[in-house]
Amino acid sequence: MIDFRFLIFMPIVIGIVLFILPESLKLIKGLLSLIVTGTTLYLSVSLFAFSSAEPTELYQMSCVFLPAINSFLILNLDGLSKLITLFIGLFGFLYTIYSIAYVTKKKKLFNYYSFFLITIGASFGAVLADNLLFFVTLWGLLGLTLYKLIKSHDDQSSATAKKTLILIGASDSILIMGIGIIFRMTGSLSISSVNIATSGVLASIAFLSLLVASFTKAGAFPFHTWVPDYAQDAPASSSAFLPASLDKLLGIYLLARICLDIFELTSWATLMLLIIGSITIITAVMMALVQHNLKKLLGYHAVSQVGYMITGLALGTPLGVAAGLFHLINNAIYKGGLFLTAGNVEKRTGKEELDDLGGLSKYMPLTFLAALVFALSISGIPPLNGFYSKWMIYLGIIEFGSGPGIANKLWMVWLILSLLGSSLTLASFVKFISGIYLGRRKDHLQTVREVNFLMWLPQTVLALLCIIFGVFAANWIVPSLFGFTGVSDAGAWIGEWPVQMVSILILISIIVGFIIYWIGTLKTRRTCDSFIGGEQLQEEFSYSSVEFYKTIAALKFFAFFYDKAQKKWFDIYYIGKGIVLGFSSLLSWCHSGILSTYMTWMFAGITILFIILLL
Amino acid sequence: MGIEIFYFLIFPGLLFCTVVGGLISWVDRKITARVQFRKGPPFMQPLYDVIKLLAKETVVPLRGSATTFILTPLFALFGATISAVFIMLPVLGIETGFTGDIIVIVYLLNIPSLTYVIGALASGNPLAAVGASREMKLMLSYELPFLLVLISVIIQSGMLISLSEIIAFQTSNGAFIGSLSGFIGFITVLMCFQAKLGLVPFDMAEGEGEICDGIIIEYSGSILAIFKLTKYIMFLILPALLTGLFFAGLSFSGIHILWSILKIMLIILLISLIRNTNPRVRIEQAMKFFWVWMNLFAIISIILAILGI
Repeated sequence: MIDFRFLIFMPIVIGIVLFILPESLKLIKGLLSLIVTGTTLYLSVSLFAFSSAEPTELYQMSCVFLPAINSFLILNLDGLSKLITLFIGLFGFLYTIYSIAYVTKKKKLFNYYSFFLITIGASFGAVLADNLLFFVTLWGLLGLTLYKLIKSHDDQSSATAKKTLILIGASDSILIMGIGIIFRMTGSLSISSVNIATSGVLASIAFLSLLVASFTKAGAFPFHTWVPDYAQDAPASSSAFLPASLDKLLGIYLLARICLDIFELTSWATLMLLIIGSITIITAVMMALVQHNLKKLLGYHAVSQVGYMITGLALGTPLGVAAGLFHLINNAIYKGGLFLTAGNVEKRTGKEELDDLGGLSKYMPLTFLAALVFALSISGIPPLNGFYSKWMIYLGIIEFGSGPGIANKLWMVWLILSLLGSSLTLASFVKFISGIYLGRRKDHLQTVREVNFLMWLPQTVLALLCIIFGVFAANWIVPSLFGFTGVSDAGAWIGEWPVQMVSILILISIIVGFIIYWIGTLKTRRTCDSFIGGEQLQEEFSYSSVEFYKTIAALKFFAFFYDKAQKKWFDIYYIGKGIVLGFSSLLSWCHSGILSTYMTWMFAGITILFIILLL
Repeated sequence: MGIEIFYFLIFPGLLFCTVVGGLISWVDRKITARVQFRKGPPFMQPLYDVIKLLAKETVVPLRGSATTFILTPLFALFGATISAVFIMLPVLGIETGFTGDIIVIVYLLNIPSLTYVIGALASGNPLAAVGASREMKLMLSYELPFLLVLISVIIQSGMLISLSEIIAFQTSNGAFIGSLSGFIGFITVLMCFQAKLGLVPFDMAEGEGEICDGIIIEYSGSILAIFKLTKYIMFLILPALLTGLFFAGLSFSGIHILWSILKIMLIILLISLIRNTNPRVRIEQAMKFFWVWMNLFAIISIILAILGI
């Protein structure tokens, strides 16, 4: 058994120590963080490999200095916690490698590594905690570090940082309220022992409160609005680490705990989760379709993919749960990777708008290849991992459709919306890939070159993981990582799609294709500029990839929603801001500063008090 | 392992599908010629086309992404061939597929269109980019009605999600084309496949007259030959999928051979007549057609399927 104090508290303590080191020693800070995250990766792998006879195992940590808090430091080491811990360790390590090259002195990010390490330690703790108070303490800490990992250098980024802090902070306070209700109902704060049916009013409020916290963290509709802004304004290494990977892992971890352990879903809860999941998939991907900024486009996809995870978990069947969690892991891999490639492009070109980019595949071949694998994977192209988990979700929905409830009867709605979301994702990633890497090479990008080893290594590892997780999903990945959901015993659903065979056939068809090329005339090819119907090619003649889906945005039905989205009608932050400011203007109207008005209020109040007391 | 490679390369995969697909494209061209009071090409014309292209010079665009440009047709061929294997094995009754294979087929059938788009964008030609944008929007348009009709078929078959089981269900309970729901579904999918094959009235991605063949403008020589082979394969497997979904599949025993050929020929005739009697529509007209009318048809088909009509 490993020592959990190292896993949870060592990153936090070293993170605090790093505050003392001056910013000029950024490289030393980075290397120190690399050692720490390497150690935690080793610990999380050995924790995952450690197996016990019992399905759920509680572990008591002991604190030497404060024995009184020992009763709170209980860890829950079941399959779910171990899985999420493993991937937090992996992503923490990979993104530290990336950060060493990405976060240079020019970036003016203060105390980046301190907050990075605190985030990692707190995430380990939150995922492993069994006691809800221990959990919520570390969870709250994560909101703060998320806020500090955006560089607020101008008005827009500070507004984004504030928005993130307010949305996450508000959801955390709602979470605390939910935990209070759970304690009142059951008298227990242990995740593993609480099990409430979501039928009564109190239980429903507690359920919804926890749900709000999980949705805000993971970025599901309608609490998702901080994710695209964060993705646009934060440095790429923060976006890859937090909204794309870690916050998904944590948010969906909490959702899985809610759905599987803390509550028993009744039919209305399942229906609501499925509706939210479907809305999240479609609305976010429609917004992504019309984005021009590459990081913001990725941010909207980070929201859209959450819909699949919610759908999978809401199904509640072993297949659905395993599919949702598998999609979570896959999404963390490819979305994190996409943000890394976006960071590379931004680092080398200094541009983030799709309009200013194009034709980079020749100059940044490794980044292009990795981005292509991630883009095909997120669009669900077989045989990559994104396809496998989506396919499991579809099968889960169809299997779910034979049940008796109202949510089951509507299976075709959930199925069609997830399938449609997938093809819209494909469409927007065609725009992403072509806008950055394909198309005519622009003159001002002639000097761009590939990023250095430290920056392409993480994305290459992630791209290989995408392929491995797709090709070996059925025989190896799903049974070993998601066996705890009981998916292997659920019947012959998985393992039939002959993905390894198909992968071999891809290689064979490439060989066959090259034979055809060899028979043909490819070896004596001629290079020549484009033919455009006999016209002289001019710069303004080029057809920009941002124009791709203008027709869709111009259609009457969609134009209405895009217009309203532009005006922030669907942004809960702005709605909340409007309500709060409305109240404050009401109060400021009352506080006019005129003494006679105050006297009137006082007399009126005293009169009302007297009347109440007399009656 | 050996048998899968045989399936993939020889029968019912690459070789079989390109030969039969070439034959079908000859039939289509012959019908077109007859409609236009021409004589039409000789029987071996599809083969001559491929051989001629293999011998022609290959030109690669100067300012595009050459490697991507050359490699994408190979993935198009792979996508078409692997879908051919997954469609033809159950449709011909050689081997049963696996549970949930129709969803895999939907995704695999998207690979050729996707590679056309990526290849076109890699060429760096603005006309190709216009074509790619249209092809992508067309994909978005026909995807939804096609999926809706698939759901209608799943409901009619009593929640079966494997192509061979759906065919077996039709063999014992009568083909779905006989029911009103199945008939409406058939018409919808026929329109979707017309667009998937890039035929008039939905050929705006190629638009010879205005954007000079659009997505394939830069392709030439042996690279174009591979695209040609892909087109032949698609010409066979999409009608075959239609027979599987609505006509209880094909069969090669005794008198059934005649029936099977008739089924495929009927669909080819319909596709060919539609393409010869309609003008090309604009992309937003096509989007409106699929998103409003075809989706409506598909939803009606689902409702009828639930009611059991």
